[in-house]
Amino acid sequence: MSSDAMAIRTAEAAGRPWVEILHEWVTTVDHKRLGVLYIVYALVFLVIGGIEAVIIRIQLIRPLNDFVSPQVFNRMFTMHGTTMIFFVAMPVLFGFANYLVPLMVGARDMAFPRLNAFSFWLSAFGGFLLYFSFVGGSGLYGAGNAPDVGWWAYAPLTSRAFSPGHSTDYWTIALLVSGFGSIGTAINLITTILCMRCPGMTLGRMPLLAWLNLVMSGMVLIALTPLSAAQIMLLADRYLGSHFFDTQAGGSATLWMHFFWIFGHPEVYILILPCFAFMSEIIPVFSRKPIFGYPVMVGASVCIGFVSMSVWAHHMFSIGMTSYANAFFTITTLSVGVPTGIKIFNWLGTMWGGRIQFKTPMLFSIAFLFQFLIAGLTGIMLGSAAFNWQLTGSYFVVAHFHYVIVGGILFALFGAFYYWYPKITGKMLSETLGKIHFWLFFIGFHMTFDLMHIPGLLGMPRRIYTYEPGRGWDTWNLLVTIGALIQSIATLVFVANLIISYFKGRDAGNDPWDAWTLEWSVSSPPPEYNFATIPTVASRRPLWDIKHPEDPDSRYE
Amino acid sequence: MATLSSAEQKDRGTYTPSEIEVPARTAWPLVLAFGSTLLFAGLLTSVSVSVLGGVLAIAGCVGWFREVFPHEHEEVVPILADETPITTERRVVDSFPLAIAPDQLRAWLPVETYPISAGLKGGIAGGAAMAVIACLYGLISQASIWYPINLLAAVVYSRQEARALTPEWLNSFHPWMFLIAVILHITGSTLVGLLYGAMLPMFARRPIVLGGLIVPVLWSGLLYSTMDLLNPVLGSHIHWVWFIASQVAFGVVAGLVVVRQSRVRTHENMPFALRAGIEAPGMMETRGEGENRS
Repeated sequence: MSSDAMAIRTAEAAGRPWVEILHEWVTTVDHKRLGVLYIVYALVFLVIGGIEAVIIRIQLIRPLNDFVSPQVFNRMFTMHGTTMIFFVAMPVLFGFANYLVPLMVGARDMAFPRLNAFSFWLSAFGGFLLYFSFVGGSGLYGAGNAPDVGWWAYAPLTSRAFSPGHSTDYWTIALLVSGFGSIGTAINLITTILCMRCPGMTLGRMPLLAWLNLVMSGMVLIALTPLSAAQIMLLADRYLGSHFFDTQAGGSATLWMHFFWIFGHPEVYILILPCFAFMSEIIPVFSRKPIFGYPVMVGASVCIGFVSMSVWAHHMFSIGMTSYANAFFTITTLSVGVPTGIKIFNWLGTMWGGRIQFKTPMLFSIAFLFQFLIAGLTGIMLGSAAFNWQLTGSYFVVAHFHYVIVGGILFALFGAFYYWYPKITGKMLSETLGKIHFWLFFIGFHMTFDLMHIPGLLGMPRRIYTYEPGRGWDTWNLLVTIGALIQSIATLVFVANLIISYFKGRDAGNDPWDAWTLEWSVSSPPPEYNFATIPTVASRRPLWDIKHPEDPDSRYE
Repeated sequence: MATLSSAEQKDRGTYTPSEIEVPARTAWPLVLAFGSTLLFAGLLTSVSVSVLGGVLAIAGCVGWFREVFPHEHEEVVPILADETPITTERRVVDSFPLAIAPDQLRAWLPVETYPISAGLKGGIAGGAAMAVIACLYGLISQASIWYPINLLAAVVYSRQEARALTPEWLNSFHPWMFLIAVILHITGSTLVGLLYGAMLPMFARRPIVLGGLIVPVLWSGLLYSTMDLLNPVLGSHIHWVWFIASQVAFGVVAGLVVVRQSRVRTHENMPFALRAGIEAPGMMETRGEGENRS
């Protein structure tokens, strides 16, 4: 935004009562404001989920510790897992998608702005409902408060005999409500991407971020519906006398596992695909090269979308499936590594020979690349049925999926924050604080999750409340907890950077990274209407074409 | 959905509009979402909460309906002036030194590669060099050039059968074993030679380092871990120093032969019509003509 226009807006905002400003935000249907709401909401829950993680780690810092009671410990790991997946990772990714997709495809808003607002508020109220369980979960029984059945809530633990009161019901209904919100957002994204692209933006010229969000949204529609169905079946079991998951009355606990994991594993890809999207935008800009192998990247993304729908039962090897089922799910799980490997090679190919700028977004992206590779390799190990039997239910598995979620998704998200924060706020984040944040988080992450594999290999079960000394787990758990505390400090640095830079940061201008996609052609922050005139594009890098008329991409595509 | 205002529609294509219609702010989606949540929450708290949720949900639906029917409720937003040009400080872009046309600054790499015949020649020459080193090893260690040949051909024997092979047998000439070894060696050498022909242009700076050293060492490492499976006889008798020496001899000779051949243009940089072999007037537009046409 021009400095004059921005000054006018700031002055306008300063002169109005805060109630009016608040009213504007809660009644907004603008995709950018809803995107920001999603992101802020997710950041609040990130802090809450992080505090729960720290409580878990303090409990495990030494043998025979009783920092919290076993009941509270169970609630902490249940709420931590549920919060981080459903109320941090999904909303923050939807927030970025909401903010960026219309701008990147040259549209003025999402296809259904009011549905967009409805979806956000459903997701938000779902989160509030989950945490209301701390107050209202005991119901008439006085038994517990927050959910304590683990984030995958296996039957028969969720039956009324083992889970009296309403804590499990809060978990069920909160996810059901927020799930409807997610489905609404997915429909909105698909429609926007397919129907609202600007003139000239064929599917072959669409930014990879839009492609990956298209695949992700399709997966949301397919994967979330079985989870919603299972939640309704669970409620029916608990209150209407049905027996879907009641093994004493002809039901099947395994049925719940299938329903949950047919959502649960694609969910990992639902979360990681938008992170691939961030990488596909950040790495080329900071390597000063176009993305290597765009058509193959699109193909690999679609391929991941399909293949990841057929791998869910690798979470269930230990329940005793047939050898054919074990073989099938091992093969499909390992085969996901092929398109994923193609993506990693293409990102490396993009960096190869480029003039790499080691700005904070790029640091997080490079860390993502090799951490996600390691996470993928331990995934290949666990995807093999024979290996899985040895380590399932151990801290090795916990280390593996945290390597994916933190080493992959969270690092990519931090990269995205540093990259698009200037566009969203008009201010640059501090590079100094950014680098401190990166190195602290990098050290803390590796201290926590590299070392966490070892007690897992030594037989430490996941979700264990405490442990006897002398099993060889003591030192590892101490180091892991110290690593978690370092990550917490790093996160505080990040939050401080967000706040300080918002008020005192350097003005970003329209295009601080000299980037090539459409969002950088408008002011920072963008106006309500996005584009005064709808742009027309002729290549995958429309801003490159404008900046380099002597050698536009359009000549070669 | 954001739409063009009447002024913008009128001016589209000629002016930047002065104002744009965007969807109006509304609280009804929030009311509907809150009502729906209370509707569910009432199942766990009190029926009165569900009733309140139901009322709010109905109000939200009606309010939302009235937002879009009969006409979508929109508000007009004035366009803020933003004169910031889209430009870059990095005006100078390195151009590719082997541009295939004066005005074409980019190309699919490699622009030139070796013909298939170069790979075949390289493979055969490298295979000959490798055979010389291997026979030299046989002469020095066993006083027989047939020793390495029989070891190579022993790939046809299983681990059990291999135990029956005596040193005398391995040092003597066997026509079938010789034939098998020759076929294996020529096939392998020409295939690897073809690979060299395809790969060396991609590592244009130091092709001999790649072909003569890096690839043979990597290949030897791969065989070191799999030799017992592929060829148990060779695996139990192999002398790894000589083996690596023969691989390096192959790599250096094949690489030198390949890089001495003349290169040909790759097809990726040619227009589709040319690649498809279509010869028709007017199929290819010359850039000069295109630019002059206005």
